[in-house]
Amino acid sequence: MSRDMRRDFASREELVAYLQQEFPQAAQRSPHVSETRGGRRAAEARLRAARYGTEYERTRNHLDGQVSRLSPYIRYGVLGLNEVREYALSHAQRRFEAEKFVNELGWRDYFQRVYRELGDDIWEDVEDYKTGFPAHSYRQELPEDIRQGQTGVRFIDDAIRELIETGYLHNHQRMWLAAYVVHWRRVCWQAGARWFLEHLLDGDPASNNLSWQWVASTFSTKPYYYNLENVLQFSGDRYRGTPQNFGHEAFVGTYEQIARRLFPNITLSDEHHEPRKGRR
Amino acid sequence: MSESTIIWVHGDNLNPHSAPFQTAPDAPAIFVWDDALLEEWRISLKRIVFIYECLLELPIIIRRGDVAEEVVQFAREHEARRILTSESPSPRHQFLCQTIIKHMPKGSRLEVLREPAFVDGAEKVDLKRFSRYWNAVKKQAMR
Ligand SMILES: Cc1cc2nc3c(=O)[nH]c(=O)nc-3n(C[C@H](O)[C@H](O)[C@H](O)COP(=O)(O)OP(=O)(O)OC[C@H]3O[C@@H](n4cnc5c(N)ncnc54)[C@H](O)[C@@H]3O)c2cc1C
Repeated sequence: MSRDMRRDFASREELVAYLQQEFPQAAQRSPHVSETRGGRRAAEARLRAARYGTEYERTRNHLDGQVSRLSPYIRYGVLGLNEVREYALSHAQRRFEAEKFVNELGWRDYFQRVYRELGDDIWEDVEDYKTGFPAHSYRQELPEDIRQGQTGVRFIDDAIRELIETGYLHNHQRMWLAAYVVHWRRVCWQAGARWFLEHLLDGDPASNNLSWQWVASTFSTKPYYYNLENVLQFSGDRYRGTPQNFGHEAFVGTYEQIARRLFPNITLSDEHHEPRKGRR
Repeated sequence: MSESTIIWVHGDNLNPHSAPFQTAPDAPAIFVWDDALLEEWRISLKRIVFIYECLLELPIIIRRGDVAEEVVQFAREHEARRILTSESPSPRHQFLCQTIIKHMPKGSRLEVLREPAFVDGAEKVDLKRFSRYWNAVKKQAMR
C-alpha cells in the first residue's frame, strides 16, 4: 500500500523541515529555500501587484525594473498563459499598452511550441555555433568556480549567488551569465542550461534551453555578448567605480573590441556590434 | 452510471481550474514525485518547496516513487478505468502516458486534456525564428 505524503503543516518552517527529511540529497546539495511562495493564492497576489503597461515597458530591462516575477507560477501552470494575458490587457491603462508584456508571454508560448516539435532534441544544438569555434571546442563541464560563484567577476558572482539563494534571476542577469559561461569561458551551453535547471524556480527545458541556445548562437543568427557599459546601464549604482576593483576588466571596451577578443576567427559585420535590441 | 475516474496531476499544470479538474471536479486526484527525475536533474530543495506549496492548494493525494506504477495503483484503489491528465510538451510525459495505459486493465482510457491555446492557427507558422511567429500571431494575441 502506498504511503501518502503529508499535507498538514502548521507553518512554512514545518513544511521545509519535512521536505529536508524526505529529500535529504537535495537539501544537502543546496539548503536554500526561496522567499517566493508557491501556490495559487501567492500567484494571484503577484498578478494583482504587477505592472503591465508603459511602466513595465520602460523599466523592464533594468534589474530593479517593474518585471512581474510571475514566471514560476506560469511555468507550473498555476496561472494559465491566457488568464495572465487577459488580466494584463484589462489592467494596463489602455489595452495596447500591454503589448510588450503580452509579447513576452508570446516568447513562452513560442518556446513551448518549438519544444513540442523538438522533444528531447531540445538538448542538441539546433544549428551550428556562429562564433568561429566548432562545437567540440567548448568545454563539456561547468567549471567549479562558476558553480560556486567564485569567478572573481563581481556582477557575475552576485548573479550566481542570487540564482542559488533565491531561484530567480532577472532576464538581463540570465543573459549576462549565460554569455559569460559560453563566450567568455567557452563552456557548452548544455552545461550551463543543466545548472540553471537545478536552481531556477521557473526552470523549464523549453524557455531555458532555447534561451541558452539563443545566447550561444545555435538558435539565432549571431552570438549574444555585451560590454561593461551595458551592465552598468541596467544595474543601477551597484558597480560604479574602477572596473579593476570589481574584476570587470574583461568587459571593458566597445562592442567591436569585445567581439574581436571573444571571436577572433570571424569578422562580424558592423550591424553585429550594435547591442541587440530584439530581445533585451 | 458514470464510470469511475481519477485525475493524474503533473508539474506542467498545477492549476486548480485545469481542464481535468473542470471535467471531473469530484474525481480523486494524485500527484507523484518522480524520484528518478529529481536525482537525475539534481533538483534543488527550493524548487521542491515551491512545487510542494503549489500542491498543498490542490485537492489531491501526494505520493512519490515510480510515477507510472503509482498512478496505476491509485486507479486500482479507486476501481477507476478512466484517467484524466493535462497535456504537456515533455517527451517524458508522453512516455509515462504510454506506460500507464499499458499497465491498466483492458478497456481503460487515458484522456490527455488541452487548455485553450494562446493563439490559434500557429501550427502553420514557421517556428525557425520568434519574429516570424510573432508577426503571424500578434493581432490575435492582443485581441
Ligand atoms: C539563459 C536564460 C535562461 C532562461 N530560463 C528560463 C526558464 O527556465 N524559465 C522561464 O520561464 N524563463 C526563462 N528565461 C526567460 C526569462 O528570463 C524569464 O522568463 C523572465 O526573466 C522571468 O521573469 P518575470 O516573470 O519577472 O518576467 P516578465 O518580464 O514579467 O515577463 C512575464 C512572463 O513572460 C514570460 N517571459 C518573459 N520573458 C521571457 C523569455 N525571454 N522567454 C520566455 N518566456 C518569457 C515569463 O513567463 C514571464 O513570467 C530564460 C532566459 C535566459 C536568457
